[in-house]
Amino acid sequence: MAATRTTTRKLTELLDPKFMARLDSLDVLSRKILQGKLQGERRSKRRGQSVEFADHRPYVVGDDLRFVDWNIYGRLEQLFLKLFLEEQDLTVHILTDASASMGVGDPSKDLFARRLTAALGYVSLVNSNRLTISLFADGVRMQLPQMRGRSYLSQMAEMLLTTECQGFSDFEKACQDTVAGRIGTGITIVISDFLFKQGYESALRRLIGAKYDLYVIQVLSPQEIAPDLAGDLKLLDIEDADTAEITVSSALIKYYQRNLAAYCQELNDFCVRRGAVYVRANSADSVETLVLNYLRRIRLLR
Amino acid sequence: MEWLTPLVGAYAAAVAIPLLLLLYFLKLKRRETIVSSTLLWKRAVQDLQVNAPFQRLRRNLLLLLQLLALIAMVLALAGPVLSLRRGPGQRYVVLIDRSASMNATDVEPSRLKEAKKQAKVFVESMRSGSVVSLRDVSDHAMVIAFDSHAKVMCNFTSDRRQLAAAIDAIEPGDGTSRLGEAVTVARAFAQSPGTDDSMRNPEAPARLVLFSDGRIGDLDTIVMASDELAFHKIGASGDNVAITAMNVRRSYEQPEQLEVFASLANYTSQTISRDVQLGIDGNVRTIRPITIPAATAGPEPSPGQVAVNFSLTHADDGILEIRQLTADVLTCDDAAWSVLEPPKRLSVLLVTAGNPVLESALRVCPIARLDPCTPAGFDAMDPAALAVQQPYDVIVLDNHVPAHLPRCRYVVFGAPPVGIDVNSPGELENQTIVDWRTRHPVLQYVNLMNLFAAKSWALNLPRDAEVLAEFNESPALALVRRQGSTFLLVSFDILQSNWPFEPGLVLFCYNALNFLAAQVGNIEQRELAVAEPIVIEGAVPETSATVVPPDGSEVELTADPSGTLRFAGTHRVGVYAVDVPDRPKRFYAVNLVDAQESRVEPQQEITFTSTTVEAAQQGVRRANVPLWPLLVLAALVLVCVEWLAYNLKVRI
Repeated sequence: MAATRTTTRKLTELLDPKFMARLDSLDVLSRKILQGKLQGERRSKRRGQSVEFADHRPYVVGDDLRFVDWNIYGRLEQLFLKLFLEEQDLTVHILTDASASMGVGDPSKDLFARRLTAALGYVSLVNSNRLTISLFADGVRMQLPQMRGRSYLSQMAEMLLTTECQGFSDFEKACQDTVAGRIGTGITIVISDFLFKQGYESALRRLIGAKYDLYVIQVLSPQEIAPDLAGDLKLLDIEDADTAEITVSSALIKYYQRNLAAYCQELNDFCVRRGAVYVRANSADSVETLVLNYLRRIRLLR
Repeated sequence: MEWLTPLVGAYAAAVAIPLLLLLYFLKLKRRETIVSSTLLWKRAVQDLQVNAPFQRLRRNLLLLLQLLALIAMVLALAGPVLSLRRGPGQRYVVLIDRSASMNATDVEPSRLKEAKKQAKVFVESMRSGSVVSLRDVSDHAMVIAFDSHAKVMCNFTSDRRQLAAAIDAIEPGDGTSRLGEAVTVARAFAQSPGTDDSMRNPEAPARLVLFSDGRIGDLDTIVMASDELAFHKIGASGDNVAITAMNVRRSYEQPEQLEVFASLANYTSQTISRDVQLGIDGNVRTIRPITIPAATAGPEPSPGQVAVNFSLTHADDGILEIRQLTADVLTCDDAAWSVLEPPKRLSVLLVTAGNPVLESALRVCPIARLDPCTPAGFDAMDPAALAVQQPYDVIVLDNHVPAHLPRCRYVVFGAPPVGIDVNSPGELENQTIVDWRTRHPVLQYVNLMNLFAAKSWALNLPRDAEVLAEFNESPALALVRRQGSTFLLVSFDILQSNWPFEPGLVLFCYNALNFLAAQVGNIEQRELAVAEPIVIEGAVPETSATVVPPDGSEVELTADPSGTLRFAGTHRVGVYAVDVPDRPKRFYAVNLVDAQESRVEPQQEITFTSTTVEAAQQGVRRANVPLWPLLVLAALVLVCVEWLAYNLKVRI
């Protein structure tokens, strides 16, 4: 009991109890109805022995006679087989960026990303899905694999609260690591600012596969969306200490914003073309709104 | 277009413009800001550089604007002047009258200041030697201030600052106006080759530019070519009342009685009433209202004059002041001062074997004491005590050649004393006077026409001796100064002549005692005209004395090796106090009392011997336009534009 209380208290540092209460009624939804390992609370593509009727199909020789719908045979004198949807569990991979760049911004992108991770993880765990959370920077730094059930809430909170965001980001390697450890089917959610100098395309391509839904959530801070800089500045990249000397002018700001919009649009297009879903979030917005409204609207949650 | 200070501008440009360019080449110190990624910023900068070709130009526009502003400022520093005068360079002599009449305040603040102001405008309008101009068209000028004497304030130069400083340095004076010396000096300087390389042909006459009220005393002695001089009249009105004469005298009979005479002149066209105040040592003794008639107009105008005399009793020394109490345009002639001496009575020692004629002649003189003494008695006196204590002012030696001569004043009858460089080669007989100096104070009112000496001594006098009367073969009366003593030599025994029967003997004795007494009390000239030097003799060599002029400042003087103190700075009227160590303080009164100088009405034209010069119709105006204010304005506008451009570039 004591441990649970600690967990709850720790998790409440990330998520509001009221918010958690509302998350209880949600579940992770896969657009592709995917096959799970255990019989879970989810429809899988594999028709099987389940209570939920799916479809009929004409009988062919060799089919199990137990699934013949005799009522239809009585009416139509034709053999039809009853098909049932088998409910299976869903594997949810959350890949959260914990590189140094996430620590920049006010309010911090990092906190936003972790709260979002905690909310999605909470939903997954309470709905008995198989949950893997990976925090990545230059590769996966921390990973809680294959969690299932509420008992893992404490571990999840522990990891999200204790891991610092540091180091440069190597998204490609992180994805490699993730894909290597991914088993079964499910959905993959990537939460990051996607400001990777070496690009995100090949890395995302690795994540997109027949068995997995991909959700790309890009978190940007208000300062990145609308910079409030002025004067002659030397911009210092927090990850690789790269510098850019700028003299802030209205033209420069205009070009920056145009570039940012193009960058986000490119990411969006990349995702849409590959059947992934792209979501852009502002770290100044509330996680609750994002989760309860927007993610439900795009049917990531139900 | 000329440049006043091209070098200053060149130096400033040499320093400032490379500095500005250097600043542009220096790396900007940028503020460091941490961002999550420079990815998008770099792209934005690239886009900016690629898509905005005017960006570099905009930065350069700032540089261009700054450069233009800087150049405008530097040009302003170089002092460009647009000259409106044409033709080759001229030479001018600026003559500024600083005589008493130029202190009149009918022009605010005073005529001299107005003259200096106009002279400076004139000087600033000159064209300067330019390093930029192709032709050398610079004007040169010199500045001379004059009252009764001319003072060169600045030799020929084209440096307008130096000329302006020289004009500023002219001090007002209370002297009379005399232009002759100034013109002589000006012509002498104008014809000398000078040191300036750019001097023009010395034959080319320099133009004289006179700033004066035209009241100049010696115009009729100066020959002036018709176009040689330009006259700028300074002054507006001539309403002045002045004290034009003053004399103070003690009565012979009652020495404590003072007789004061003064003459006041009215230069206005109305009869006026004024109060005249007489004071001694600052204490007002009497105030008398007087009425002065108006000046008479006509071709020979003369001021209305009135004489006042006061009679009062004052037995001490002091400073007597007469002042007319209503302020007018000229203040320096409203008062006159006189230094009063206490009445002096002489003590006389008569050394004689017995000469009742001489004794009775001396006794009728106004002297305090006459001590007769025998030659033996005189020789027995201590010469040192006689020299130091000076119990006698005059010693009369009658036919006695003493063994020693203590420092004193002597009247010697008969054989000359030994040791004063006077030899007597022998005796002469039957001498009559052939000539005498009637103007000498000793022989005032003395008629020697009938003087006959049966016996006299021939005198061989030193060269510096003063012969007052001559017999046909030898000097009869002579004045010799030796070893601090004064000897009035009479080369005959009066009992061997017919002088006792002449009235001239008593007059001679009276004059001789008065003359020698003047040497006693050092009754030197205590009332001086302006610019007349104060001379004090008999001071210890190398001693320093202090002179306090009327303005209260202190001037240190040092006596020259012969023991003479000289102070020439009596340029203002008033009382000058001289403090010589170990002596009572002396006072000297410097008065204007000059009817010509008090006539302050400015002259519309001045007449020289052959020519008449009209005053210039209008005041001196600038003949050039300084351009630096325009350049400064341009620099200001450029800086504003630059600031705007910068803000447009930076602000979002």
